[in-house]
Amino acid sequence: MDKNPYSNLDINGVATASGGQYERVNIEGVGKVEGDVRAASFRLNGVATVRGNVETERLESNGKLKIEGRLSAGTSHMDGYTDVLGSLSGEHVTSKGLLQIRGDCELERFDAEGGFVIDGLLNAGFVNVQLYGRAKTREIGCESILVRKIAKSQWKEMLRKMFGKWAAGLEAGTIEGDDVDLEYTAASVVRGNRVTLGPGCRIGRVEYRTELKKHPAAQVGEERKTGDGSHFA
Amino acid sequence: MNLELISKKDLLDSTGISYGQLYRWKRKQLIPEEWFIRKSTFTGQETFFPKDLILARIDKIINMKDDLSLDQVAGKLSPSLPDYELRKSDLLKRNIVSPVTLHRFAVHDPENTVYSFELILYFYLIDQLLQAGDMSMEEGERLLETLKDHFPKFDGKSCELIFIRKMGVSSFALLSLPSQLFFEKGVKVVARLSMTECIEQLKGKLV
Repeated sequence: MDKNPYSNLDINGVATASGGQYERVNIEGVGKVEGDVRAASFRLNGVATVRGNVETERLESNGKLKIEGRLSAGTSHMDGYTDVLGSLSGEHVTSKGLLQIRGDCELERFDAEGGFVIDGLLNAGFVNVQLYGRAKTREIGCESILVRKIAKSQWKEMLRKMFGKWAAGLEAGTIEGDDVDLEYTAASVVRGNRVTLGPGCRIGRVEYRTELKKHPAAQVGEERKTGDGSHFA
Repeated sequence: MNLELISKKDLLDSTGISYGQLYRWKRKQLIPEEWFIRKSTFTGQETFFPKDLILARIDKIINMKDDLSLDQVAGKLSPSLPDYELRKSDLLKRNIVSPVTLHRFAVHDPENTVYSFELILYFYLIDQLLQAGDMSMEEGERLLETLKDHFPKFDGKSCELIFIRKMGVSSFALLSLPSQLFFEKGVKVVARLSMTECIEQLKGKLV
């Protein structure tokens, strides 16, 4: 078993460990890691705080994870509450529960069930949001985005208990993408190639290139067709 | 000097690329973060780009992406210095730096001295300015000093070299991008070179 040059970090129970390079990080219980962590995989069951940056190929988190630096992860599955004080970059993030990113977020694919708060720009190839909490971000830029509201789930009940009663919805400053398909979204500007606005949308201004589909219950302040043929736009 | 800006919408309309492509290229770091300039307009926050830089870059990406993968394009365009070294004799043989320049600035180095990419870049820059007739040999020496002292401090971030002259007195400055610079009357900007562009040119010649 001397194939791996780095050792594993295992925490069972309550412990504090130092950062560094590991092969695998496995935390069951309450753990704290002081400093930057690099590992091939990072697994958490319970509560953990990392006081530094995390770099890993696979991240799996069940419970509450707080990272006081940047997170860069190939693929991540986050169940529960995840708080990243820096930026997030990676290939694929699946989040169930609440995800909070204070910086920017750069991903190829972003699947979120529940709520998220991203203070910076969410830049992703494909954004798939299943709403049952409140989601908020300054700006979304993507190739395609799909936002849907889930009717009922246990998580929704729990989030409601935790954060009081609020309507599930996505709130964003601007949303830009090639294919934009939204529901229950409030945004000041939506720009895209093909734009579909479902029920519950409140959009200040929509700019679209090829087509705009609008549900009767969607509120849109201003509509504009841009580029491709309309030179007076 | 004022950088001319272009709004994101005008950029997409004039180049025919889509939002998705723009964001994907940003993720792949084909377009540097600092070119995204956020400004508030009467319609809210909008993103602007330095017009000449972004149009040239998009042109390059579109031309390259047919033959190369996006990751390869990113490698070609990144402002980071490659791990590339070359002997003095090879620099001459491949006509990257002219013999006059090398003779003046590297006369004490033996023929088989190995230069780092950074040093090759400095020689290349000086050579360009000398050949354009903008700069004298003495000024070239000072430029070499300036670059050696200060260019590593930018640490891979894009920067510009400014060469100004007033009443025959010349001076050099390195500044990070994007920035605005205003001069007093009588100052002549002899040259303003983007280091990133020079790195790209040199990479194209070396590889």
